[in-house]
Amino acid sequence: MGKKDLVIRVAGEGGEGVISTGDFIAAACARAGQEIYTFKTFPAEIKGGYAMYQVRTSLEPIFNQGDTFDVLCAFNGEAYEVNRPFLRPGTAFVYDYPDGDFEPEIPPGVFAYPIPMSKTAKELKSYRSKNMVALGALSILFNICEKTLVEVIVDKFKSKGPENLNFNLEAFHKGRSLVESVVKEDPWRVDDPVDPKDVLIISGNEAVGLGAILGHLRFFSAYPITPATEIAKFVATHIPKVMGVLIQAEDEIASLSQVLGASYAGKRSMTATSGPGLALMGEMLGMASMSETPVLVVNVQRGGPATGMPTKHEQSDLFLAIHGSHGDASRIVLAVEDVNDCIHMTAEALNLAEHFQCPVILLSDGSLAFSTQTVPAPKVDAIKIVDRKRWNGEGEYKRYILTDDGISPMADPGTPGGMHVATGLEHGPTGAPNYASANHEAMHRKRFGKLDAVVNLIKPTQVDGEGHADVGIIAWGSTIGVVREAVTRLRAEGVKVKGFYPKLMWPMPVAQYEEFARGCNKILVPEVNFQGQLSHFIRAETSLAPISMTICGGIPFIPIQIMNKVRETL
Amino acid sequence: MSIGSVKRVDLKPKDYKSEVPVVWCPGCGHHGILSAVYRALSDAGVDPSRLICISGIGCSSRTPYFVNSYKMHTLHGRAGAVATGAQLARPDMAVLVLGGDGDGFSIGGGHMPHMARKNVDITYVLFDNGIYGLTKGQYSPTSRPEMKAYTTPYGGPEEPMNPLLYMLTYGATYVAQAFAGKPGICADLIRGGLEHRGFSYINIYSQCPTFNQIDTIEFYRDLVETVPKDHDVTDLGEAITLSRQSSAGRAPMGLLYKVNRPTLDQRMHAIVEGVGGSPDYDLNRIIDLHRP
Repeated sequence: MGKKDLVIRVAGEGGEGVISTGDFIAAACARAGQEIYTFKTFPAEIKGGYAMYQVRTSLEPIFNQGDTFDVLCAFNGEAYEVNRPFLRPGTAFVYDYPDGDFEPEIPPGVFAYPIPMSKTAKELKSYRSKNMVALGALSILFNICEKTLVEVIVDKFKSKGPENLNFNLEAFHKGRSLVESVVKEDPWRVDDPVDPKDVLIISGNEAVGLGAILGHLRFFSAYPITPATEIAKFVATHIPKVMGVLIQAEDEIASLSQVLGASYAGKRSMTATSGPGLALMGEMLGMASMSETPVLVVNVQRGGPATGMPTKHEQSDLFLAIHGSHGDASRIVLAVEDVNDCIHMTAEALNLAEHFQCPVILLSDGSLAFSTQTVPAPKVDAIKIVDRKRWNGEGEYKRYILTDDGISPMADPGTPGGMHVATGLEHGPTGAPNYASANHEAMHRKRFGKLDAVVNLIKPTQVDGEGHADVGIIAWGSTIGVVREAVTRLRAEGVKVKGFYPKLMWPMPVAQYEEFARGCNKILVPEVNFQGQLSHFIRAETSLAPISMTICGGIPFIPIQIMNKVRETL
Repeated sequence: MSIGSVKRVDLKPKDYKSEVPVVWCPGCGHHGILSAVYRALSDAGVDPSRLICISGIGCSSRTPYFVNSYKMHTLHGRAGAVATGAQLARPDMAVLVLGGDGDGFSIGGGHMPHMARKNVDITYVLFDNGIYGLTKGQYSPTSRPEMKAYTTPYGGPEEPMNPLLYMLTYGATYVAQAFAGKPGICADLIRGGLEHRGFSYINIYSQCPTFNQIDTIEFYRDLVETVPKDHDVTDLGEAITLSRQSSAGRAPMGLLYKVNRPTLDQRMHAIVEGVGGSPDYDLNRIIDLHRP
């Protein structure tokens, strides 16, 4: 299979315009009809430190950041040093020279393009225009659509005054003129523009916020935590427009408590956090289970335990999400695959919480949180809204009345005759405390039994690939996007491999796992955590005996890792 | 709470009594506070279907069960945080928190300052008996060091906190104190809290004859001293001076402080108005912001 995508990595020091350069390339490519998947790393420092922004672009759908880059643009010596090991024969290397802060050794086979970025910026009397010089050079070297690139630059700077805009455009065109006479030898180029698709460019965190707003969220409470805080920022900006409320709580215990109170009061409510916050919410999640109160917790996973690696990617909160509470606490756990899922599954998770009157935990992760992707622009009318079942006002109201489907109608405060207690004590149908053995068992059957229907309500788990397979890969979260590409590439090579991508993590759709496994000789479960957490649940809940493949170095898988492991497993 | 905006009803105190039998020990001060709650609700004309009573865990946290209203019996320490969410979500409801000293100031102590400084429009009635009753008699944040209790067989090693000083310092806009042996005064102060727009804190001493052998009904009767008639309730300095008298064995009874400051829900409503919030807001406008 010929390579149909291009990966450009821009690296330098935080504050040098690395991120905005990446944003310009991504937006210009998207406006020129390309699909985009970006990946970035931030310095842990507030200012300075190594920063990297990688744009993968293609006319075809992209599911992950790619194996490595094709083009490296290094703004400084550190960026060169960090990425030197990945400069393989065939890559293009654009760097600040002469008069940069480094003099690289060019590995054999690498196409080198020295561009005097700093020098030119200095001649233009502003060091801050260095990235625009680089952007101009990159646009010619790699055929990044000039028309759309100029548009996004104008859009970005027009609000900052004509002087600022003209200055940046001058630097951009100066950068272009620097390479006009350069003879291009490498094969890397962005495809020529096609008609743009109806897309958004949005990060995982923003997409969760958008999904929540489209899902009629009306109350949000959270405590600041990396890498989830952008969700609160998005919601804070937009929820007042729909008459909703956002509060920053004193801690995560308070945030989920507030969400529970708001939900009892009748509003669609959620919080967003990361592992340490989810750990603090454990007791209140049990309260939501026991009192059958709809709450949504979005958990953006990061490296743990304790403070761990707050800015790094990991998929290590599955144990906590599924079982983190005392007692037998029923809940629904979902995991998103990509940024598009962040929109639609957040809206759907609110529906599930409302319908099943229970806590729903939606797992995202550090890699999706900041990854921007092109996603189909959502259609407002296509977002389905399911509200909680409400009491019809007839007869005597019993909040926890036993029903066939385990769902008891709720009554919003203010409803005459609907007064009731929502309680954390075990209770009978009216809510009155009841510790009788038969009652506790009946209520557990109600709280767990009502969730049997979840499997039928959400889309069946997708299977990738047909026929019998030597290796079946089960992946969850953002690892799915990596496995999708590995499966496609392996099948193109003739390897018999299939993929199975659960989004409903709990309750587990056991029958679907079993059915998938029947078509495979071996089952491989790659995930970014130390213990192999999904493998653990598969062994516990199904008859499968998966081969666990784990990494936990703070970064996601890349397709080639999965492909190599499959070949090894055959 | 915002009963100003809620239609008043004409109900007798007994109409606020639920069918759930009261479970407290004979002689417990909480009986007096409960009757004061019924009277305050009646006097304020609160519609039971527009009232949410919220509690955490403890003897006093059972109170919502005995009140005819919407109610939540939540987790130890979390009543205030849950109530904050309920109030912000439904500013058209009256929200009343009923709980004890351990629940509010020990395990729930992290929430107290924030309800006060944010001026969340709820009324918090704290049943202060200086003991953990439900777990059979351990010292609490308001226990006097002289008290020998379950986990302090040799007397307490700690100084008690001063709830009134705490609440005044953190910015509560209505602060009062009473004693369970004076249910009429309790009722008036709770009613005042219900009618106040903002965070109202009412500390009520309540004897625990079962586990607290030193803070008896007689002790509290001698301890409390009515707030002077000429006390200016808008003077924070004076209120703080009064609050500190309890360390000198003369605890103020009555309204110490009452000022008006915008509540959190009012400020949030102003934000909604500022951005032109509407139930019919076109969500495409938000989507369009993210086009490349």
